[in-house]
Amino acid sequence: MRRTAALLLRQGGSGGGGIPQVLADVLVCPLSKKPLSRYCEASGSLVSDAIGVSFPIVDGIPYLVPKDGKLMDQDQEKSEDCVAKDSSRSQ
Amino acid sequence: MALRAASRSLALSSRLLFPALLSRSINSPMAFLHSHATSFGMPSSYFNPLSLPLILFLSSLGYKQVPEEQKSKLVGNVFSSVASSYDLMNDLMSVGLHRLWKDRLISKLNPFPGMKHLDVAGGTGDVAFRVLERINSVSHRAMQGTLPDTEEDTQIYVCDINPNMLNVGKKRASERGYKEDSFLSWIQGDAEALSFEDGSMDGYTIAFGIRNVTHIEKALSEAYRFCQILLVSHGFACFRVLKRGGRFLCLELSHMDVPLFKEIYDVYSFSVIPAMGELVAGDRQSYQYLVESVRRFPNQEKFAQMIQEAGFERVEYENLVGGVVAIHSGLKL
Repeated sequence: MRRTAALLLRQGGSGGGGIPQVLADVLVCPLSKKPLSRYCEASGSLVSDAIGVSFPIVDGIPYLVPKDGKLMDQDQEKSEDCVAKDSSRSQ
Repeated sequence: MALRAASRSLALSSRLLFPALLSRSINSPMAFLHSHATSFGMPSSYFNPLSLPLILFLSSLGYKQVPEEQKSKLVGNVFSSVASSYDLMNDLMSVGLHRLWKDRLISKLNPFPGMKHLDVAGGTGDVAFRVLERINSVSHRAMQGTLPDTEEDTQIYVCDINPNMLNVGKKRASERGYKEDSFLSWIQGDAEALSFEDGSMDGYTIAFGIRNVTHIEKALSEAYRFCQILLVSHGFACFRVLKRGGRFLCLELSHMDVPLFKEIYDVYSFSVIPAMGELVAGDRQSYQYLVESVRRFPNQEKFAQMIQEAGFERVEYENLVGGVVAIHSGLKL
């Protein structure tokens, strides 16, 4: 979770679609309850890799109602625009 | 054993029709309203009549015969259209009583510096701000103005299914001088499928929200899932709460259980409110629904039982204004 946090924090600094670390620390996918493992810069959304669903972030508020989740197709999932969480670590 | 103890505590609390809140000085709004009610022999805000149209309407659009999938949409529409005036309207309709109820909720929560707290269905931040203010006053008292390390860890998560309500809350937070992203976080989420890690919260509150939830049991088990089993102490300031488990608190319109008042309340609910709804909001049907939804909501005992079934212990409740509103609490031990 904290690994996700570093990423999201970085995004948050830009004032765009990112969310702060305190939030990233506790957030999981509302459907799978697994970590929201990636932040997708292109779409400004949080990605749950476990089930291949992305959740939008609007005005800094993560929209994590299950029906807001969008199923991702394979190509999109592998998109380079979406940063893998392991590429960055906090501390 | 635990069950027996809990039922004893339930029986005890059911007798507490009028909590300490009501025994405040005669100058309090409630005392005033009470005397008003008796002298004119008609329902007054003491029985929450004025607050009902708003709070009930907003927090529970009636859903008689409404299919599950339509219910959330209906509720969503209502909240979207009233988000900006939600709290103001609460004030007007309840003559400020909802503030006292929420204060009571917070004093039961007993927030502490370093707390991780989740307020569900609290989009406009009404409960969250109170929690934060209480924490600030507690830590300042304890540390005489210096910030304890733990205070920095304080985090209040506000979760609401309606983004409009959250936007109002965010705006109010900045108006109150809370820096963005410090202490307060805003998340759109569903009480039945929350997006928080297991055991991540010290407290969970839901005020005038649970009746909106389609499956109450699901929301309760979600609440149980992520309440912390045992607090981890982060220093001296938290020593006191080492053994405290995650606390669940729910403020909700409930069932009046005082015989005479109940009749008055019924007449008011089923005659006055729908008429008022038609007159003021031009929508009799919605107000009819809302009144019925309060009746459909499980009574205090039943709801307490549901909380127990979700896994919480030491479940008890307190009736305010004779049961018009009840605060249920439970601990995850």
